[in-house]
Amino acid sequence: MKPKSKRLLNLSISLTFFSIGCIILLFNLRDNLVFFYSPSEISEKNISSNETVRIGGMVKKQSLRKIIKKVKGRSLEEISFIITDYDEEIEVSYIGILPDLFKEGQGVVVEGVVTSKGRLNAKNVLAKHDENYMPPEIKNIQSIKDNKDDI
Amino acid sequence: MISELGLLFLILVFILSSLSLIELLVKRNFFPIFSFEQKKLSITIFYLTLSSFICLAYSFMNSDFTLNVISKNSNSQLPYIYKFTGVWGNHEGSILLWLLVMTFFGFLFSEKTQAKDNFKNQVLKIQNSLCFLIVSFILFTSNPFEKTFPPPIEGSDLNPLLQDPGLAIHPPFLYLGYVGFSIIYSISIAALSCKQKVPFIKILKPWVFISWIFLTCRIGLGSWWAYYELGWGGFWFWDPVENASLLPWLTATALLHTIVIADKKNLLINWTIILSILTFILSLLGTFLVRSGVLVSVHAFASDHKRGVYILLLLSIICAFGFVKYLKNFNKITNQSQIPLVSREGVISLNNIFMLTLTFTVLLGTIYPLFSSVLFNTKISVGAPFFNSILVPIMFPFVIGMIMGPFVRWGKDDLINIVDRIKILLFSLILISSVIWYLNYKDPVLSIIFIILGSWVILSSIYEIIQSIKINRKLSSIPKKMLAQVFAHIGIGLLIIGSTGSSILKKEKIQFQEIGETIKIKNFDVQFQGVKKIEGPNYISQMGVFKIIDDNNKIVTTLKPEKRFYNSGSQVTTEAAIYSTLLGDLYIAIGDVHKDKIKWTTRIWYNPYTLWIWIGVFFLAMGGTFSFFNSLRRKK
Repeated sequence: MKPKSKRLLNLSISLTFFSIGCIILLFNLRDNLVFFYSPSEISEKNISSNETVRIGGMVKKQSLRKIIKKVKGRSLEEISFIITDYDEEIEVSYIGILPDLFKEGQGVVVEGVVTSKGRLNAKNVLAKHDENYMPPEIKNIQSIKDNKDDI
Repeated sequence: MISELGLLFLILVFILSSLSLIELLVKRNFFPIFSFEQKKLSITIFYLTLSSFICLAYSFMNSDFTLNVISKNSNSQLPYIYKFTGVWGNHEGSILLWLLVMTFFGFLFSEKTQAKDNFKNQVLKIQNSLCFLIVSFILFTSNPFEKTFPPPIEGSDLNPLLQDPGLAIHPPFLYLGYVGFSIIYSISIAALSCKQKVPFIKILKPWVFISWIFLTCRIGLGSWWAYYELGWGGFWFWDPVENASLLPWLTATALLHTIVIADKKNLLINWTIILSILTFILSLLGTFLVRSGVLVSVHAFASDHKRGVYILLLLSIICAFGFVKYLKNFNKITNQSQIPLVSREGVISLNNIFMLTLTFTVLLGTIYPLFSSVLFNTKISVGAPFFNSILVPIMFPFVIGMIMGPFVRWGKDDLINIVDRIKILLFSLILISSVIWYLNYKDPVLSIIFIILGSWVILSSIYEIIQSIKINRKLSSIPKKMLAQVFAHIGIGLLIIGSTGSSILKKEKIQFQEIGETIKIKNFDVQFQGVKKIEGPNYISQMGVFKIIDDNNKIVTTLKPEKRFYNSGSQVTTEAAIYSTLLGDLYIAIGDVHKDKIKWTTRIWYNPYTLWIWIGVFFLAMGGTFSFFNSLRRKK
């Protein structure tokens, strides 16, 4: 083979491998996306009940409840609270320790599975490292809030 | 007064470094007045930045609340050590630290490196221009010496999460790693722009190793901190900010493998330059992601849009400058020659392919949410499953390459010969696999496979050392280069086992635990004894007391996880308590009390082999250190 055609062959082989890799990568990405919604979007869209989603909003004041449950002989504390974007609400239940910066009336992001209309089983409640930090999604909701009366 | 002095020093740095930029952009004979000796300029800039930094530190130590940064990030009650580390516990101060490290690398290069004068001048010119970009960023968007009026009587405290020795030393390491790549960038670009060929690989080498060591330590420290301070029971969450630090590490690892070939065989010189430029750009990208707040991340700190735009601008300038220089000049240093696949250089090139695949994967997963929010207006996040789905299948060929690599000869080799050379090793690999499988057959298959892969890497590295001792007959005569490679590879092996243990094999129990109640996890009984109130220097803490009893009914230790309430700022932090053994960590975090005052939420984890991760990072750093000293010695 001439050096030129050999180089062409090498190039085309590596390009093929590269594109196959990219396709695998993108398909994998598509299967593993977690969408971020506000409580309003959750009620607008029909989200299948096994999909993992992230929801961001404000924790409604006086909505935090703690119930004791017995599971397999151990007592567990189920925490529930309501996330609101001042239009729609969603009730979140969570078993675990809430992050240190979790407070009623403050922003929060939860990850979990929507079980029925307006309910979510959280796997993760995300903490922020910094009390002054607000994710951009919540910041927008906050600005809506500023124009509304306190709930 | 002191703070005004600090600002003055910064302005001087701005003026002096702008001279370098002008000289870089304009032909020298155009403006003969601007022909400064870069070496003197670098040294002056370094001392000025150092003085400015000392001024800021002095103001922090004396709690000068007239400065905006100090009033927001410090407090007169804070212990002295955290008053000092508070200097870089905020955006403004940490960027000043960035500049300090950057000028320090310029200073070191001008003092220590031996090279031809015009080459050295060129490198420092670029380095000082980079300093100019950073110092203008500080002055225009994040001035640490900004005043606040009226000054508050008391500061609002340093973020309690940062009041921790692990995190206190984490930013300096981060910047030593990240910013170390600035000098690598400067050297590479300078090599491109010099008219004659320069033996720049030898000059580049020690800087690559030293920056890599710092970056490795920094990632290790960061995950260690996340592990015991956040109270989430894990050490790596594939969070955008963690990914941002991993990206330059991956390309830097590729670079330090490539540079070995470049040095020995004078091959892949172009590729070395591309990797150098890429690594520095990825370091900057990491800073951009963290500091601009564009990504939803649990690590994101309060941030401001103007800064994000400026960093993005900076990133594009440095990126464009690097690649334009490269495209204009790469022909000068190209030397065509083929690399056979079955040879040492071939296997090392394979390493590069894996590293870059990983880089690309992590990059895609990290910035895809950004694109999707801009282009499709949908908000998404990419979680651990995506990264794991790529990482898991790729590990297998990667580990095979790591095992074979060191036994393949330079130049040309063939497979049958290699197998013949390492048949004892192959036999022992099969043996250890079956032993591991037999001992752990109840565990998930994936975890067994990964632990076997990890043990293969460790075993083959040990075999390599034994072979070398057989030939050389003395421990001291083992080549440093080999020692470096063996240490680093053992480190990777330990990391594989450690992260498998603490992810797939992790056991977790969350419950409402009554005082006196015992929870069984693995082979430990965790007995809850009650909660004490403790008063710290600037916080009050609720300290749970847990007695740990093993299966022989012996009390192993008492663990005391805490929940701390900080006096100022009303923040709360969780301090997990950990009992570490080689086999696994027992990890306890305590939550809130129930209404009845006798039940507490407790979260108990058993994380197998987690200690091996930290040992692995230590081995990696050791490997890097051997390489570093080796590259220094060979230059003389």
